[in-house]
Amino acid sequence: MNKNYILGVFNDEATLVDAFEKIKAKGVIPVEVYTPYPVHEILIGMGKKTRITHAAFFYGLFAAIGILSFLTYAAVIDWPLRYGGKPFNAFPSFIVVTIVATILSITILTLFTFSARAKIFPGKIPEIYHDRATDDKFVMVISKESLGSSEKEIQSIITEHGEIE
Amino acid sequence: MYNSKVRGRLIEGDKSFGQISREILAPIYKTPLWWYFALLVSLGMFGFGLYAKYITVSTGIGTWGVNNSSAWGWAIINFVWWIGIGHAGTAFSIFLLILRQKWRTAINRAAEAMTVVAVFCASLFPLLHMGRPWLFFFIFPYPNTRGPLWVNFNSPLFWDFVAISAYLLISASFWYFGMVPDFATIRDTAKSKIKKAVYGFFSFGWTGSSKEWLRFEALSFVLGGIAAVLVVSVHSIVATDFAVSVVPGWHTTIFPPYFVIGAIFSGFAMVLTLVIIMRQMYKMNDFVTDSHVDAICRILIFISLIMGTAYTTEIFMAWYSGSDYEMYMFFRNRIFGDYAPEWWAMFISNALVPQLFWFKAIRRKMWIVFLISIIINIGMWFERYNIVVTSTSRDFLPANWANYSPTWVEVGFFVGTLGMFLTGVLLFFRYIPMIAISELKSVSKFDKPNNGKLKSESHE
Repeated sequence: MNKNYILGVFNDEATLVDAFEKIKAKGVIPVEVYTPYPVHEILIGMGKKTRITHAAFFYGLFAAIGILSFLTYAAVIDWPLRYGGKPFNAFPSFIVVTIVATILSITILTLFTFSARAKIFPGKIPEIYHDRATDDKFVMVISKESLGSSEKEIQSIITEHGEIE
Repeated sequence: MYNSKVRGRLIEGDKSFGQISREILAPIYKTPLWWYFALLVSLGMFGFGLYAKYITVSTGIGTWGVNNSSAWGWAIINFVWWIGIGHAGTAFSIFLLILRQKWRTAINRAAEAMTVVAVFCASLFPLLHMGRPWLFFFIFPYPNTRGPLWVNFNSPLFWDFVAISAYLLISASFWYFGMVPDFATIRDTAKSKIKKAVYGFFSFGWTGSSKEWLRFEALSFVLGGIAAVLVVSVHSIVATDFAVSVVPGWHTTIFPPYFVIGAIFSGFAMVLTLVIIMRQMYKMNDFVTDSHVDAICRILIFISLIMGTAYTTEIFMAWYSGSDYEMYMFFRNRIFGDYAPEWWAMFISNALVPQLFWFKAIRRKMWIVFLISIIINIGMWFERYNIVVTSTSRDFLPANWANYSPTWVEVGFFVGTLGMFLTGVLLFFRYIPMIAISELKSVSKFDKPNNGKLKSESHE
């Protein structure tokens, strides 16, 4: 492992969270925490926020406007067709396609946003600190630089519940 | 930490995280003998289907039993049947996700896999029913020189095309992104280099960092929230294919909700069939416990009651409308007429038989539950038979009346899609973790925090 980091390895969620909170109380924030499943205390505690939901809302807004305008343009303005005397601007029946195609656009665009922001894409070489972090270990990566004078204390917090690797 | 006063423990046997990964991933490393046999049978069925499709395409729709009156026949029955089955994945993942039902974690992966394969099977039917499937791109709305420049945006058949392609794409991507963390687990636990490389590629470089999980959760939230609309919209659109026509027995406002409920009903029944096989064949009883099966059975009772209500509502409305044609369709054609066996098969299997699930003793007997789930699947097939065939074969004019019976080509086509479905499910069992490992881990520790070292209240 890299000499610039210390790895705190824990066996379960509760000990990880406890150690995380104690370390944070000392003013040290880990570089990254790797867990087999999402642990909400960590996600909140790391202080990162995601704006994917906002992005999705705007994708949906623009997709809905775009699709509805396309349908209106195609069926009303560009090439109106007579279907048994029905009105050209059959607004309610455009809604169905608008909803479904909007959902499709949101899904695809949000997936790409996720892929770009979380850097999850085909062919990516993962940066693995501990090869059991996707299996059964909860791993906290702390940069030695950020520790300063409190290195001993932090190490004792980690060893209280887990191990240092 | 998972805690529920209602359901209690979700995983039997007090397993460690490592144990959960190992037990769920076991089928990927060791293939049982029956798997090869089952794959051979499914591929045989699939091959027979391919031959039927070849006959359909090379000779034409004339090889089917459809005629001018009953133009839809088995193709549309099976299309609606498969789409219905394809609703379970989304219903399971999304509705239960929104309702925060944590017990879904053991089943959602299998249900989603089933959805993707079933929707794919379904889409083949309308495609080949076109007769000239290579011209199917005519449905896309693009500027062209073929007469009417744009497709008819007011037609439910066009809506259907949009809805089903969107549904297939969305459910497939929802399913795939749910699997990314589990592929990473395989990458990190596998011994063989090939497995490491292949699953490593499919895991898209997932590491389980807090940044990834944060966005992953937001992504599931967004996709879950918007795809819930699809569960309702796809099958209501299929229903409007029928309901906007003026054919007796089809022209009813109850159709969209009735179809959606029917779809969820058949989907849940198929999920039940599948998880019982999964439990038995792969010894997943600790993850898909008796109480999971019990919960699905309870949902089925509820949906079955709605189905019964829908059937009786239809009959009541036929009488209440005072329309001779509606009366004829329901009483003299369906309930007591030429198609009585099909109607009663539908009514008994969908509205009456599932009521047996009221008894706990029956919900706990796996072979009876399995049998009832199969009966529901068959009953739902008969429901679509009733809708598609009875109405068109007895039109307004007796001169237009024509009976319909399928030819071997149509049967072969259907058997082929069954084979395709089974092949897909078997490949899923073999190559993909059949239970969402990471989601299951998040609910695995039940009220036993901190290895007993810290106070249990400290993080709840």
